[in-house]
Amino acid sequence: MVSGKGGVGKSATAAALALASARRGRRTLICEVNADERIPPLLGHAPVGPEVTRLEEHLWSVNLRPAEAMKEYVLMTLKLEALYRAVFENRLVRSFLRFIPSIQELVLLGKATWHVRETDDRGRHVWDTVVLDGPATGHFVSFVSVPQVLMDTVPPGPIRRDAEIMRGLLVDPAITGAVLVALPEELPVTETLELATSLRERVSLPLVGGVLNTWVSERFDAGMFEQLSEWPRLKELARAQHAAAERSRWALDKLQGHLGAPVHKVPRIYSEQFGREQIERMSRALEPLVAGSADHG
Amino acid sequence: MGERVLEEALRTLEVLVCVGPGGVGKTTVSASLALQSAIAGREAMVCTIDPARRLANALGLEEFGNVEMTIPQEVWSGADLSPGAPLHAMMLDMKRSWDDLISRTASEELRERIFANRFYQALSTVLAGSQEYIAMEKLWELRNDRGYPLIVLDTPPTAHALDFLDAPDRLLGFMGNDAARFFLNPAAKAGRFGMKLASLGTGFVLKQLSRVAGGQTLEELGAFLSALSSLNEGFNERARGVKALLRHEKTGFVLVTTPAPERLNEVIHFHDLLVQSDMRPVAIVVNRVHQAPDAELSLQAAALDGTLREHVEATIAEARLLADRDQLGIRRLQQEVKTPLIIVPRLPHDVHDLRGLAATAEHLLTPARG
Repeated sequence: MVSGKGGVGKSATAAALALASARRGRRTLICEVNADERIPPLLGHAPVGPEVTRLEEHLWSVNLRPAEAMKEYVLMTLKLEALYRAVFENRLVRSFLRFIPSIQELVLLGKATWHVRETDDRGRHVWDTVVLDGPATGHFVSFVSVPQVLMDTVPPGPIRRDAEIMRGLLVDPAITGAVLVALPEELPVTETLELATSLRERVSLPLVGGVLNTWVSERFDAGMFEQLSEWPRLKELARAQHAAAERSRWALDKLQGHLGAPVHKVPRIYSEQFGREQIERMSRALEPLVAGSADHG
Repeated sequence: MGERVLEEALRTLEVLVCVGPGGVGKTTVSASLALQSAIAGREAMVCTIDPARRLANALGLEEFGNVEMTIPQEVWSGADLSPGAPLHAMMLDMKRSWDDLISRTASEELRERIFANRFYQALSTVLAGSQEYIAMEKLWELRNDRGYPLIVLDTPPTAHALDFLDAPDRLLGFMGNDAARFFLNPAAKAGRFGMKLASLGTGFVLKQLSRVAGGQTLEELGAFLSALSSLNEGFNERARGVKALLRHEKTGFVLVTTPAPERLNEVIHFHDLLVQSDMRPVAIVVNRVHQAPDAELSLQAAALDGTLREHVEATIAEARLLADRDQLGIRRLQQEVKTPLIIVPRLPHDVHDLRGLAATAEHLLTPARG
């Protein structure tokens, strides 16, 4: 499950992780959740919509949307399409379901975790890896807390039972791992550390790694600045590069010191466009994170 | 082309709502606009959600949520600025806002019943989606009860633009169409609502629903909705008020984004939704735009030697690529939306004090690109 503050490259990281996983020969499914589909286009494919669709070798994608997920969820319980239409496409019932935001999240998370458990007719797991491009920091804790909230809120019954199953999957370190993405800036680093704390304390979601995206390496040393003193504008430019490298170093130290999981650097990519080629580069940088992931299949 | 749209907006509008994806600097833009209004002599309130701690400190905001603060004189003089009118700021506390809303609309006995209900506790604290509604609800309250000449609202980062614009409708729709009452007391109301349910009896629909949700869940939810529905009138009035306020001629929206290509689809989509919903986008602020290094720098670099030259040239090339990428994004926005663009260059440091906000404001007030 990938999360991070908005704008840090969360979806790109999810795409890169999925690609790295597929390259290792693992059957990999990308789940986007209630989003304007971004990952297949980033990988150079057409958007796939709400059906699980093959993108390339070992790699599939699906965009989970509340309406379809709700229908599937209800159909699994009620079994009859006609009944579904009569009850759940009723105007009053629909507005009722819309008003309770957690129901949406429950069915989305429910669908994603169902894929984790999905087996073929010989009882084998269909997916070796499911990569979930989760909501951004603020919504992520609410999203993964839904099973717990429902267990605390809802009396025994089908919803409660499903919530318990989901929670069981989410807190199992052999199955689930959160990957938190940050940039070398103060706010994203602080938010990432706060998110890690909330996940640990409120959700018990296992954390497998941090990703420090747009890492900038040191390039200029004191001697070079000395040489540049005749060129104040070049020196200013070099200073700006140096400041970015220092921020990267600061962020790495801070994350390594407090995250409680290994931190992986993804070098900053300079290009006009952002697409397949750039994701491939990120994917190579994230190889160690994927190689270290636990098997459950 | 060349209009000073935000200067005009700060002078004439009464509500400015800053919207956009997470992590683009919405809070800084909101605070800068309010600050500029105060400097120009028009009293303003900026209502922010979870601002960066340092910015909060710079504004003199402490931890207490939902308290309206006035920026003290010493903070102004410390930044070497003198306001023409007071600047106020407030941090929104979700839980407190929900509690306030219930307290204002419910009798004391009802209030206790609602506060004690598990569904309410979940709704008001952890559940996603309620943020959007309460932010706008707070705006309505500030607008009606407090009389600030200008309110700038910083909104929560939204996964879905629609959730946000939809929030009052969602509540209004729910309260307005008898759905709440339908779930209250099925046995008693069955006859009355049965006819509306596609000729199926209410009892049947509820039975199927309870197979999915669990019978007791529906009962407890019913109790919650029953308590809420007696507030129907108050809620309805407020939700209608929020809806009207967002479309009021004195209300404008400022879309904030960075020029990175991956943000733009979302921003264009949000912009279209605003227009379709009769809400007025005043400007699109393109924040943190990289400036291109000029040709003179390359000439200077060519005079260097060895590793130093390589490193300097690499740095110039990188800066140029980022600037080109940003210009590509800006051109795309210019082609796809009619709303004026305000370009704010990337500042070398994080904005964390009044001076930084004032510097940002100067860029915000520059003439728009058409």
